[in-house]
Parts: sequence; structure tokens; C-alpha cells
Amino acid sequence: MSKPVLQISNLNKTYMLGKRPVQALTNLNLQVNQGEFIAIMGPSGSGKTTLLNVIGCIDKATNGQVLLDGIDVSKMPENQLYKIRRDKMGFVFQTFNLLPYLNARENVELPMEGKIKSKDERKKRASELLAMVGLSGRENHRPQRLSAGEQQRVAIARALANNPAFILADEPTGNLDSQNKQEIIKLLANLNLTHGTTIIMVTHDTQAANHTERMLLLKDGKIIKEKEGLHLAKKNNKCPNCGADIKLSDNVCPICQKSLTITDEPFSS
Amino acid sequence: MRKEPFMGIINRAIRNISRRKIRALLVIIALGFSMAILVSIPAGVLANQQTASTAATNLSNIITQTSAAINQTSTQIDCNLAPSFSGFGFSGFGANSGGSGSGSGFPPSGSGGRPGGGGFTPGQFGGGTVGGQFGGSAFSGGQSNPMNESLYTDINGTISGIGTVEPILQASEGQNVTRDLSFNGYSRTITTLEVEYTIEGIPLTSDLVNNYPVLPTNITEGSNLQAGASGEVLLSENNSAYFNAGVGDTITVLNQPFTVVGIYSPASVSQTQTLYMNLSDAQTITNNTGYITSFKVFATSSETVTQVASAISTLHPELTVTTDQTRLNQLQNLQTTYNSELATAQASNSQTYSTAVEEIAIVVVATSLIVLFVMLYTVKERTKEIGTLKAIGFSNSVVMSQFMLEGILLSIIAGIVGIAIGSIAAPTISSLLLPSVGLGGGAGAGVAVVSGTSRIGGLSIATLNPELILILFGASVLLGALGSLYPAWRAAKIRPAEAMKYE
Repeated sequence: MSKPVLQISNLNKTYMLGKRPVQALTNLNLQVNQGEFIAIMGPSGSGKTTLLNVIGCIDKATNGQVLLDGIDVSKMPENQLYKIRRDKMGFVFQTFNLLPYLNARENVELPMEGKIKSKDERKKRASELLAMVGLSGRENHRPQRLSAGEQQRVAIARALANNPAFILADEPTGNLDSQNKQEIIKLLANLNLTHGTTIIMVTHDTQAANHTERMLLLKDGKIIKEKEGLHLAKKNNKCPNCGADIKLSDNVCPICQKSLTITDEPFSS
Repeated sequence: MRKEPFMGIINRAIRNISRRKIRALLVIIALGFSMAILVSIPAGVLANQQTASTAATNLSNIITQTSAAINQTSTQIDCNLAPSFSGFGFSGFGANSGGSGSGSGFPPSGSGGRPGGGGFTPGQFGGGTVGGQFGGSAFSGGQSNPMNESLYTDINGTISGIGTVEPILQASEGQNVTRDLSFNGYSRTITTLEVEYTIEGIPLTSDLVNNYPVLPTNITEGSNLQAGASGEVLLSENNSAYFNAGVGDTITVLNQPFTVVGIYSPASVSQTQTLYMNLSDAQTITNNTGYITSFKVFATSSETVTQVASAISTLHPELTVTTDQTRLNQLQNLQTTYNSELATAQASNSQTYSTAVEEIAIVVVATSLIVLFVMLYTVKERTKEIGTLKAIGFSNSVVMSQFMLEGILLSIIAGIVGIAIGSIAAPTISSLLLPSVGLGGGAGAGVAVVSGTSRIGGLSIATLNPELILILFGASVLLGALGSLYPAWRAAKIRPAEAMKYE
């Protein structure tokens, strides 16, 4: 087993909704190993996004400990946190959050500004990343000239800009049609496999969740269930049903013919 | 801050401003007008100060000159034959000089006795009309009738309080010009003397030359006439041109050679054609030995002038005796007016200044408020963008710089627009906003009086000088920074989690 890159213990998060305190996360414990692809699921208000924010250092825990690579970030001041976000985190948002007045390449370059001094180097890397997400030749397009799927690809390229340890995706497929959904999930899964980037994805989408290797169900600020996803099987190259060797690209097991694309609700019980 | 993020910040600031073109345009116009006002007011104040200082300089020059004139002539008494005695035409001469009454002009020379000139023709066309041509002193009233010098030698002996007596012989030389005049149906032919130069002979005694203002003072070339000089002349600039002669040259005046010792710049219009020489020389060349046309009496002090003048009148009732008392009074009145004028100008100036300070304060506040609200709105509008930037690793200081720079950039563009507007409309704007550029209100009437003397300069117009433009440029940077400080701080305080909100 890989080493843990994220260890959360006794995490509590309370925020004020007007004058009413809301307990978003309650005594939450979680360990994530390097290279894991995790889906966080749960009903609205269960604390999914709050958890992701705390992990991504864009929100602070009320109490508890968050260790990133062994470093406690829960007490870190903002003037250090931004560097963690910049160097270790890559965010992918539901609404893509591209800057509308910058073209695709410039959007991807943004996180590199504080890290890579040479503009040419930034340009080159951004173009490479865009090529990797399948957007070669569209570097100079502004977001409004790209489709939703393309915009999310740009956002993923931007998330990868500084070669982060984590990709934190908040409903990355929430605004996409089914075709684009699959492609984005495939892209993330491939990144996970090829780059070994740890991916933590908040999603409502069961199909998307099934393509991860571990699914967490959150309710009332606690993790109430965990389940393995298909991605783990593919990662291990074994059919979860018959144990036969499978390939990542297989949709059905070549031996038992069972579908390797799970469409049913993982937490339906 | 490192160079690279800074370039990115500038790039994004420019893109953001140009993204909402109409808004940027409106804001820039509004700010531009503020900036135009900001630059026009100091321009107006400067113009006001310049106008006032020009006026003050001119006024004080006038006062100085006036005082000098008053001091110089305060002891002076002009004496010549009264018009009533000289009568009209030639009769006056006969009555007073006791010489032969016949013939035109001045008896000793005879009428037209000299070729090419009118000779000495004081009475040629009545005492009154051509009096001016005979000059006399600048203030004498210009009547010159020949007088026998010996008749007036008693003055210095019998009247006390006299410093000295300066007998003067003036003779104008020129062409007789005949003109036909018609007036209301009457037609007559008039011959007048077109003066080419006027000889003024004064006794070049050391007492007169050294102690009294009898010779011109502003010598431009050569030197003045010295005591006892003979056969020498001092020319006016006009004379110098007429005789085509400079210092050291010899000129011929009424067939007599004279050496030019100096050239002077006339202090008054009546002096422009006057050349000075020794009285005896003048009497000789004009054949007027023993005759003079007027004399000046200098009292020992200005207090006794009136007393001496009346004594002269008593002794010689036929003389017109003029003191400078009247003029003195006039000049003193003028000086009072000038002084109050200066005070008014200074008061108006300081009022302008305080108004300007108030208005500048208002405009500064208004400009910063415009920047403040525009930037606050921008920050609010772009909350999610700011959250995103922070989520992907932008530091607070970079976010803050981003918005500060946007505000400053807007302000600088507005500053340039303001300079453009100001360079055209500064006079209008400043005259609208400041209490009358120049000397307004009560000062106006006084200025008009002074202007009448043609000595006051024109009113200065509010213009933008390079210093003002530079200051405005600095001010626009400063106001942009000031106005966007709080919005930028607000932007920096936006939580990165705002990026996650999806409404």
C-alpha cells in the first residue's frame, strides 16, 4: 500500500449561517493514500464541499487535524496556505471558473505565475497540458468560444499546471452532458493512472463515482459508508467478478462477460 | 513583487478594463472631467496670481515713476507769458517784448528769414493752436511767447525761497505746410509748421546741470551735456535719426556746426524731437540774443512753492505761473487709487486661493469616491473570479495589487483624458469655478483706469504648464491608489471558497 498523503483526524467544522451555527463536519476521520482516486458522495448539505474545501486549504477546520504529507495545515496562516494551494492542489470546479478575458493557454498559465519565472516556459507547459487534455490548437480560444466539456478540460489542465499532489474536483461533471461527463471522468481516471495524482472528487453522479476506486458516503458531516469502485479493479487489472485479467479500456470482462461499467446506485441499500 | 507576476497583473488589469468598454468609457469620462477640474483650478489660480503680480508690478512701477516725477518737479514753477497777454497772432509779442511789432514771427529774425525753415515762429498760428509744437516742458501747457530775458532778472533778487532760475529758449524748426481746410461751408487756407526738431537752449551752468532736472536723464549713447559746454548738442533718438548722426558726429543746426555728445531716450512725447544745447548757442543761431521763451523757477523746497509762485505772479502779473501743485494732487490721488487697487488685487487673489483649495478638496474626494465605488462594484461583481484566483494559489498581495493597479490604471487613463480636456477647457473651467480669473469685481474698474495707461499687461490665461501636467499625472496615480485601496483590500479578504459557490 502506498503511503498516506492525507490524514484527517477528529475534524470538526462549524460555520455560521446568519446567526445560526451549522455543524458541517463532525469528528471526521479520513486517510487517503498517494495515488488514490476517491469519490465523496452524499446528499446536499452533508458536508461534501466543506470537506473538500478543508482538504484543499481554502477553508479552515474549526478544530481537528489535517495532515498533508505530514504537515499540519489546519493551523497554517493564509500567507503560507496559498503556497500549498498553488504547489500541491489543483482545483476543478463545477462551473469551470475560467477567467473569461483570458484565453485557454493564459488560463492554464495562471497558477504558474508565482512559480515559473520564464514566460516562454509557462507558455510551453500550458500548451503541453492543453495537448494532454486534447485541446491542441485551441490555446488561443477564450472560454466563451469553447464548449462546456472543453472548458472543463482547460480547467483540468489548469489544475495540473504546477504538477500538484492532489486534484480536488467539486462536481466536475455537474454541468456536462453524458458524453462529456464520460470523457472528463475518463480523463481524470487516466491522469490518476498515468501521473499518479491523488484525486478527490465530490460528485452526485453515481456513474462518475463508480469509476473511482473508493467511494465515501457522507451524511450529516460524517463518513457513514465506504465502497470500492471499478477503478480499483481496473487499476489492479483484475475483473472484480471472476478475477480474470482485464484491460483499462475493456467495457466488459473478456472472460465472464460481466459489464465493467457500473451504472447502478453504489449506495442504494 | 517579482517582475513576472507584475506583468501578468498589468496584462489582466488592462484586459479587465477593456472588457467592459461602455462602463470603462463612462467612468473614464467622469473621472476625466474631475481630473480636468483638478488641473484647471491650479492653472486658474496660477493665472490669477500672474495677472495680479503683473498688475502689482505695473502699478508699483507707475507709483515709483509717479513719485519720482512728483519729487523731481515738486519745486518747479513754470513761467511764461499768459495767453491773455500774448493775445492772438503776433500782437502778443509786440506788447511784451517791446520789440518791433511788425512782421511775422519773432521780430529779431524776421518773417521767413531763414531758408528752408519757419524760423523762429512762436506766434505763427496764434499762441494757443500751435503751442504744443513749441513744446515747453511736458506739463507746461505749451504756450511759448518770446520774452526779453532782462525783464525778469529781478525775480531771483527780490523773491526769497528761490533756488535758481532756468531761462529757456525753445525754437522749432521744420517745414511750413499749407493746407486747405473746409469746415461747415467755410473754407480757408492754413499754414502750419510741421516740426522736424525743436531746439531747447538752457544755460549750462554747473549749478543748473548738477542740481536741477533740466536735462534728460536717460542717456542711451555718449554722454550728457556738461556744464559750460558750447557748440555741443544732446540729441533725442528721433533727432539722431533725422540728422542721421551719432555720437561724435557734427551736425549743422541753422547753419551752425554742433558736435553730438550724446543721445537720450525721451521720457515724454513732447520731448521726442527736442535737442538740447547751451542757451547762448540757441540764442545765437536763432538770432534771439537776449530773448527766451519761458523760464522755470525752482523753489528751495516744495513747501514754499505756492508762496514763491504767488510772489512771482505779483511781481510779474503778465506771466502765467504754473506750479506742479495741481498735478501733484492728481498724482497723489492716483497713487491712492493704485494702492487700493493693489490691496483689492491681493484680497481677490487670496479669496481665489481659498476657493481653489476648497474646490480641489471636493474634487479630490469626488475622484477618489468614483474610483472607490467603481472598484467596489468590480470587486463584488468578480467575487467568484477572485475566489478562483486565490483557490488556484494567488496570494493576497497579488490579488490586492491586481485591483489597486486596475484602479490606478483607470485613474491614469482618466488623468490623460483630463489633461486633454484641461488643455482645451482650462480657461473656461477655471473661470466657471473660481471667482473671476484676473482682477474681478471692484478691482475691475481700477484695472480699467490702469489699463487706460496702457501699462498693465493683459490678463493671464489659465494654461497647463508641464509642471501641472506632471503633478496631475502623479495625482491621478495617487487618487487611483487611494480610491482602490479599500476595494482591493476587500478583494484580498475574499475567501477562496467563494469559488465554490454556484448561484
